[in-house]
Amino acid sequence: MIDLWNEENLYIVAIAALLPLTAGLVIVQVNPYFALVMRGILGAVAALVYALFGAADVALTEALVGTMLSITLYAIAVRSSLIMRLGIIEPDLPPEDLLQTLRQPLRPYHLRLELVPYPDQESLQAALQDKEVHGICFSPNPEITHIPYEIQTRVPRLYQILSGHLPLETMARLNPTPEFTPTNSL
Amino acid sequence: MIDGLSYGLMIVGLIFWFWGTLPLVGDRSVLFKLHSLSVSDTLGSMSMIAGLLLKIPREWPLLILALISLAIWNTVLGYVLAYCSYRDEDDD
Amino acid sequence: MNGIIIAMLLALLIPIYEAYRDSHIWQKMLAFASIATKTSMMILVVSVLRDDWMIGVVGVLILSVGNAALMLLAHVIKRSDEAGVYEP
Repeated sequence: MIDLWNEENLYIVAIAALLPLTAGLVIVQVNPYFALVMRGILGAVAALVYALFGAADVALTEALVGTMLSITLYAIAVRSSLIMRLGIIEPDLPPEDLLQTLRQPLRPYHLRLELVPYPDQESLQAALQDKEVHGICFSPNPEITHIPYEIQTRVPRLYQILSGHLPLETMARLNPTPEFTPTNSL
Repeated sequence: MIDGLSYGLMIVGLIFWFWGTLPLVGDRSVLFKLHSLSVSDTLGSMSMIAGLLLKIPREWPLLILALISLAIWNTVLGYVLAYCSYRDEDDD
Repeated sequence: MNGIIIAMLLALLIPIYEAYRDSHIWQKMLAFASIATKTSMMILVVSVLRDDWMIGVVGVLILSVGNAALMLLAHVIKRSDEAGVYEP
């Protein structure tokens, strides 16, 4: 047993105090990617503290599993879940400024926008029906409406996020989500 | 004599550490910080390990392994970080 | 020898503060890289201080493997950067 309050061993107390400090820093992060980097820092400090107290095996496990494996897996999980897949028609891509405007309301929620191209209108609608994409963006027949683009999403929460955004509403029409039924739920 | 030399090497390593880590707090670009950090961290850590090696020559295989892995990994890591962060620096 | 460890601890606090302060993802990654090297060096120094082989082996392993985690994470972040224009 190490005598912690001996003056010789005071540095152990100082280093151990880093553990709650970095753990607190993990908690206050809002952005998921920042939290992952902070978790890596916490893992490095934790391995140091464990090794300091003589638990070499625990320190090694923390470094290999707690830091390396879990961070990589979480990074992939965050990357593939915080995403909005938007179906588009390949030949007439929506203009870049529309996509930039579409990204603005998604940014506070750390959502990425991924474009999924389809050859024509029918397969685009089918993809929305089959839940391959979260939303679709297409230009309707110009004789009926003067608005160049329409956005349709099947997720009510995405409609909620996008509908409050004024610059987007001037550039494209946002169709309301169909009525929530067991068949169109996630 | 050997003891003094090993302490001297470790203190040189510490000076390198502080010299390379203090620019991290400023608002310089990532590549500038990466350069000072990778040079000083690697050199400082290597001189520290050399100091430890003089102190306990009995554990030389372990310390030599640490020396080699430090030199190789930190260089590779510097390259990888620079490569990955480069696209971001473009639009600054 | 205790003084050296205290000085290393002070050097370790700088990147931790930087990681907390800066809200740019690559600056945080740099701080992480610095911390990973510094903690494993501290483990090595402590192992020599206590003349304990076991801790020393762990320090060397963390020194060589800890960087691999950083590279994997860097590549994942780079790819989500490219695909979705993820602005920090």
